[in-house]
Amino acid sequence: MILPAAYQPPLPLDRLLLPVGAPGAGDRMELDVLIVGAGPAGLACAIELARLAQRERSDLNIGVLEKAGALGEHSLSGAVVNPRAFHELFPDLKDPDFPFRGPVERERVALLTSRRAVTLPTPPTMHNAGNYVASVCEIVRWLGERAAALGVNVFTGFPAASLLVREGRVAGVRTAATGLDRGGQPLSNYMAPNDLIAKVTALAEGTRGSLSQAWLERQAVTCENPQIFALGVKEIWETRRSLDTIVHTLGWPVPTDAFGGSFMYPLEPNLVALGLVVGLDYRDAALDVHALLQRMKLHPLFRQYLEGGEMVEWGAKTIPEGGYYAVPARRSGDGVVILGDAAGFVDVPSLKGIHYAMQSGMFAARAIHAGLTAGDTSGARLAEYDRLVNASFIMKDLYRTRNMRLAFKDGFYAGGVKAALMTLTGGRFPGGKIAVEPDASVERRLTPGVRPVSVFTPDGKLTFSKVDGVFKSGNATRDTIPIHLVVGKEVPPAVAEFYAGMCPAGVYELAQGTLRVNAPNCVDCKATDVLGPRWTPREGGSGPKYKRM
Amino acid sequence: MKIAVCIKRVPDSETRVKIASDGKSLDEAGVKFILNPYDEFAVEEGLRLKEKAGTGEVVVIALGPAAAQETIRTALAMGADRGVLLQTQGLHPDGLETAKALAAELKGAGFDVILLGKMAIDDYNHQVGPMVAELLDLPCVTTVTHLEIVGGKGTAEREIEGGVEVVAFPLPAVLTTDKGLNEPRYPALKGIMAAKKKPLEVKPTAPGPGALEILSLTLPPERQAGKIVGEGPAAVAELVRLLREEAKVL
Repeated sequence: MILPAAYQPPLPLDRLLLPVGAPGAGDRMELDVLIVGAGPAGLACAIELARLAQRERSDLNIGVLEKAGALGEHSLSGAVVNPRAFHELFPDLKDPDFPFRGPVERERVALLTSRRAVTLPTPPTMHNAGNYVASVCEIVRWLGERAAALGVNVFTGFPAASLLVREGRVAGVRTAATGLDRGGQPLSNYMAPNDLIAKVTALAEGTRGSLSQAWLERQAVTCENPQIFALGVKEIWETRRSLDTIVHTLGWPVPTDAFGGSFMYPLEPNLVALGLVVGLDYRDAALDVHALLQRMKLHPLFRQYLEGGEMVEWGAKTIPEGGYYAVPARRSGDGVVILGDAAGFVDVPSLKGIHYAMQSGMFAARAIHAGLTAGDTSGARLAEYDRLVNASFIMKDLYRTRNMRLAFKDGFYAGGVKAALMTLTGGRFPGGKIAVEPDASVERRLTPGVRPVSVFTPDGKLTFSKVDGVFKSGNATRDTIPIHLVVGKEVPPAVAEFYAGMCPAGVYELAQGTLRVNAPNCVDCKATDVLGPRWTPREGGSGPKYKRM
Repeated sequence: MKIAVCIKRVPDSETRVKIASDGKSLDEAGVKFILNPYDEFAVEEGLRLKEKAGTGEVVVIALGPAAAQETIRTALAMGADRGVLLQTQGLHPDGLETAKALAAELKGAGFDVILLGKMAIDDYNHQVGPMVAELLDLPCVTTVTHLEIVGGKGTAEREIEGGVEVVAFPLPAVLTTDKGLNEPRYPALKGIMAAKKKPLEVKPTAPGPGALEILSLTLPPERQAGKIVGEGPAAVAELVRLLREEAKVL
C-alpha cells in the first residue's frame, strides 16, 4: 500500500505568501482591482466591474493576470455549457451571438463493457436541452476581447507567483520571474518579478489554485469536507464520420473501485472532442488516466468515429469534485475574494462549472464595486460576495447534489444505487453528509487486483504515448527553465511509479531506481499537486498552448 | 538617434497551417498571429541603439490588415515609441509593392537607421529589406549578427559560409537582422500598460497590383512512417537488403 500523503511535501507557504515590500521585485504597479486568472470567472468579474464603473462614470483600473502566453491557452473543459450566466452578463445578446459551437440536439448516456455499449436512461442531472457544446478556449478568447474593449488590462504571460500580504490583508501579488536558467540564475533576457498592488485581489486561478490554497490555509478557513479532485484527459479529433450526439459513458475502462466516465461531443460535424475523467481517489496505484483513454478509444463506440481520422489536440486538467461540502466556509477576506474553480463551484452530477464560475465572477464584481464605492474593502464588506453566492443558484444546485459524487467513494455499483436514490429524493437520501478524506490520504493498492494488466503500446494512429500527447498540447516550454515542482525528500521506486502513472504528461519517470522529473513536459493539470509533488507557478507562457480545448 | 523598424504580422510558427479553399492562400480561421521572429531582433536592436545613444526615437512601421495594430502594440510594449500602420486589405504578396509602400513612408523622415528582419517566416522571400534600401538609395547590409554604431558610422558582422564577414557602412543605412544578433526582451508589465497610450497612426494604403501572382500553395508531403526491421545482429542482413533494394542508398 502507498499513502500518497506520506510522500507529499507541504504547500510551500514561504514562497506563496510574501510580505508587501519583500526584496527581489522589479517594477511595482498599482491597480484598483487585480484579478488572477483570465478564465471564465476572472474575465466575467472584469467585464462586470468595468461595466459597473462605466455606468457610474468612475475610472476603475482593472488588471487581469494570466499565466498562459495567450488567452485561452491554459483553459480546458468538456464542454457543454449552460448559457444562463452569459445571458446575465450580456443581456443584449442572444444565444447565437455567444462563442458556442452548437446547441445540444441529441444526447446519449451509455454503460460500457469492454465490447458493448448499453444505452441508459439519461439521469435528470445530465439533461442538456437548451445547453451548448463549446470550447472553453474560444469562450475565454471571446470574453477577453470584450474585457479589453471595456478598458480592462489583460496581461497574458504573467503568472502570479506569490500573494502579497500586509498584516493579514491581501495587498496584491508578485509575478513569476522570467528568463532563469535551470539553476535559477538570470539569463540575458531575465525579467525580475513585478509587484502588483491592488485594493482588492480576486483569485480566479482555476482548479487547485496555489495562491487560493495558501490563503485558505494561512487563514485556517474551514470546509465541511476536504476538496477532492478528478483528472480529465481530453483529445480533439478531425474525423471522417460525423457525430451528431453528445455521448457520456460510464463503466469500462474505469475500474469499478474508481469514479469516472467519458464524454464525446461534436464541435463541428467532423470535429470531435472526447475525454476521460477519473477521480483521484482511485485505489490502484498503477492507474493511468491517459492510458485508459487510449484504451477506451479502441472500443467500437469511439473507434467507429475516430478510425481514419486525426488527433489534432491533446490536453489534461483536474476538476474540483467535492461539491457543496468542499466549498470553503468563506471565499472572501480582507482585500481578497476567491472565484470559480478555485473556490470549488463545480457540479459533478451535471458536469458543469463554467456558468457557476462566470456567475461567481459577476457576484464578486458587484461586491467589490460596492466596497470600493464605500471606500471599504475589508473582509466584512467583501463578505457580501459570499452572501450573494450562497443565496444564488450556485449553492442551491450544489446542495441538491451534495452527496452524489461522494457516494461513489465506495465503488461504482454502490455509488450508482445511492446516487439514484438521491435523485429520487431530491438530494435528501441518505440524510446528513457523506464524509470523505483528501485524495492524498486514500491508500493505493500495489497489486493490480480487478484490473487486468496489459502492456499498452500506442499505435500512433488511434492511440498515443504521453510524449505524443504533450507535443499535441502545443507545449513548447524551453528545456532550461528551473524545475517548478517541489518533490518530497525521499521517494521510493514504488511511489515514483505511482507518480509516473498519475501524471498524464510524462513528467515523472522511474529511472535507475530513482524519480526523474521532466518538468518542461508539465501541462499544468495540477494532478501532481493533489497527490504528489507540489506545483508552483513558473515562467509566463510555459506549458500548453490549447486552441480549441 | 532616429530609428525605424519595419515589422510584419505573421502566423505563429506553431500553427498547424491549413490552405484555404481557393488553393492559394492560408485559411486564417483559428490561426494565431505573432510578430515575425526576425523582426523581433530588429525591434530589440533598435531599442538597444536608442538606449546606447541616450536619446532618439524608435518608430515601428507595419504594412498589413487592421489586426496588425496588435503586432505594433507588441513592439510598443517592448519599448518602441510610436507606431505607423499602413493599412491594407489582407496581406500583399509582392515584395516590391510592399517595399514601395514602406519606402514612401520612410522617405524624407530623417531616419539614421532602418531595421528589418532578414525575412518573414511566412513567405521566406528575403526581398523587402534590400528593395527598401534600393528605393531610398541607401546602403544596405543584410543578415546582420553583430552591430556597432559609433559617430555616424557602422560596423556589422554577417555570418557567411564557413566564417564571418565584417562590413563598414555610413549612416543612414538599411540593415536586415538575423538570429544571433540579440536576445529580444519580453514586454514588461509597465511596457504593456504604456503601450496602450503610445501613438499609433493608421494610414489606409493601397499597394499596386505588382507582378507576382501566387498560383497555388501546397503542404509538404506527409512523412512516411519509419519501419522497425528487427532487433539484434539477425536484423542487420535484412536492413542492408532493404537499404539496397528498397531505399536504394547502398
